[in-house]
Amino acid sequence: MNRQSENFGRRQFLARAAKAGISVGAAGIISYLLYDTVGPQAHHPAEDLVTLPGFSVKQQPGRIISIVKGSDRVKTVDKAIELLGGIERFVKPGETVAIKPNVAFASPPMLGATTNPQLVGEVVRLCYSRGQAKKVIVTDNPINDPASCFMLSGIGKAAEAAGAKVILPKPHLFKHTTLKGGRLIKDWPVFYEPFAKVDKLIGIAPVKDHHRSGASMSMKNWYGLLGGRRSTFHQDINTIIAELAMMVKPTLVILDGTEVMITNGPTGGSTSDLRQANTLIASTDMVAADSYGCSLLNLKVSDLPYLAKAAGAGVGTADYESLEPKFATVS
Amino acid sequence: MGPVSSRAKRFESVISFCLLAVLVLTAIGVFLKQSDFDMSRFGVYTAALALSSQKSQTSSPEITLDALTPTGFETLSKSETYTEENLYEKINGKAPFYIESGFRKLFTRRFVSKKDKDLWMELFLFDMGTAKNAFAVYSVQKRPDAETLQTMRFAYKTTNASYFAFDRYYVELVGSAQSQELLEAMLAVAGKIPSRLSVANDTEIVELRLFPQENVVAGSYKLHLTGAFGFEGLTGTFTARYMFGDNSLTAFFSRRRDTQDAHAVADSFYKFLIKNGGADKPPLNKNIEAKIVEFYGTTEIVFTTGPFIAGIHEAQTQQSAEELAVKLINKLNDEQTK
Repeated sequence: MNRQSENFGRRQFLARAAKAGISVGAAGIISYLLYDTVGPQAHHPAEDLVTLPGFSVKQQPGRIISIVKGSDRVKTVDKAIELLGGIERFVKPGETVAIKPNVAFASPPMLGATTNPQLVGEVVRLCYSRGQAKKVIVTDNPINDPASCFMLSGIGKAAEAAGAKVILPKPHLFKHTTLKGGRLIKDWPVFYEPFAKVDKLIGIAPVKDHHRSGASMSMKNWYGLLGGRRSTFHQDINTIIAELAMMVKPTLVILDGTEVMITNGPTGGSTSDLRQANTLIASTDMVAADSYGCSLLNLKVSDLPYLAKAAGAGVGTADYESLEPKFATVS
Repeated sequence: MGPVSSRAKRFESVISFCLLAVLVLTAIGVFLKQSDFDMSRFGVYTAALALSSQKSQTSSPEITLDALTPTGFETLSKSETYTEENLYEKINGKAPFYIESGFRKLFTRRFVSKKDKDLWMELFLFDMGTAKNAFAVYSVQKRPDAETLQTMRFAYKTTNASYFAFDRYYVELVGSAQSQELLEAMLAVAGKIPSRLSVANDTEIVELRLFPQENVVAGSYKLHLTGAFGFEGLTGTFTARYMFGDNSLTAFFSRRRDTQDAHAVADSFYKFLIKNGGADKPPLNKNIEAKIVEFYGTTEIVFTTGPFIAGIHEAQTQQSAEELAVKLINKLNDEQTK
């Protein structure tokens, strides 16, 4: 064997290995430097602004709102949806469905500060089993650390167990939007991407007392779609809730009043903040749903100015009785 | 072995570039995937702990929350500290209530049972700036049917939580379940906190001594820093509930900056009651100098003495209202003559 050529071969190998390492390292560094952790800021040209798609279905008189009494959420939600025509009316085979629960806090399900996980699981199951959905995603942009919220609320586990994909908020999932006719939602980041390519949207919210707005129900649930320093909007809470209701056009909302947080909302903290109301509402008109829901908190429609604002903007009607609600009781 | 041929060199170069391309593509793939992973495939728990760690902030300089870990428990995620700027990120719509009550900082920590991961609690330690502020947020949120704890001046527990005020701190310990093990652990944490705070003693809320003691409902004292009874002008108002037989009623007072201010607030409150459906009533006790208002089946009394505006709220009978009003006037007068 020629010793000189052997030495040459080793040097050549080392040089090439070094070059390969440098190439990989450089690619990693470039990727890191180019990665935008913050996302787009400041003003955006009109062409860059997005608009959330509409997900509503055609209203069917007499099948707009259902109110079911009972303590078993699985039974009440099944019945409530059945009274509106069944999940098949809302979810068609092969469609992708987004479910937006209230996962605002890293709080245990027992406290009622977040949507009940059993309810989320059942709606996911209905979408797959009867609606023949291709895919169901469950997502929210919580106030607290998102992963902790999905974990400790039990919603992440329940959604996954039912076959849904849980999507946590990330900066690149937000896009700026301006609500036409809106006063507050102007060039504001919203949690957009998870909803951009789905066919249907179902909101599921608990009925809660809320220190600022008086009550947190299905319309307030869309607050989770806002990004940025959204606490700013607490200064004009009624307008922002009404504007969110104008911005989001869900397929269906489900309002859970099985146990309502009657005081110390929206966080609660003690089981003594809850009252058993054994009521679940499903509706294609979220103003109507919330107008009935407020009665579970011993509030009148006039106590919640955002209901009149949303109704005035044509989102729905606060006169839920005019919609001839379907009532039922399940044991 | 002879010198490497040019054909072999080209072949080696092609192979090398192919390998490099695979490596670069792998690196890019890993980078993209880790920034957009599907949590449903990797499990929520792991992701939660990772993100909690990223977001955690330094613990309180005044108290090391880790040292409060009860026996049989361990810490879950890291301590977090919130200021007025970001309190909203923790308690959302309740933030204005604390901020308007003098909030300074919130320190939080979760503890989880080593045996059962479903048993966990979260500690909320609010620094409210003053003992009165801490008492205000404690008392206004107090759950009416809770069990009073004798270990501290202001403390109670419910089936899943424990709450107390100690000097300028307001503390909540919220459990994930109704569990005796959890409740005992909470009380153990609560017991450790006062000795580890930077304050030496629990400052007394001396105003509470101004309430007549007879027939008062134990633990019913409240301090409304803003708008008591739905009337914005009644700020800094202390209240206490009483039972006269089966009749409940509430006594209240607020110390104003001077007599004129007390008169002005009393007059505004009286007009507020009338405007909202109240009607004047003659006193049963002719010696009482106060406005007496029939208000939707209850009796309201408003009076002033020195810098105090005071009165009786939602009394079920006028007689009990006037009886308590006289006692309250005497106590407030005694205070001014000291």
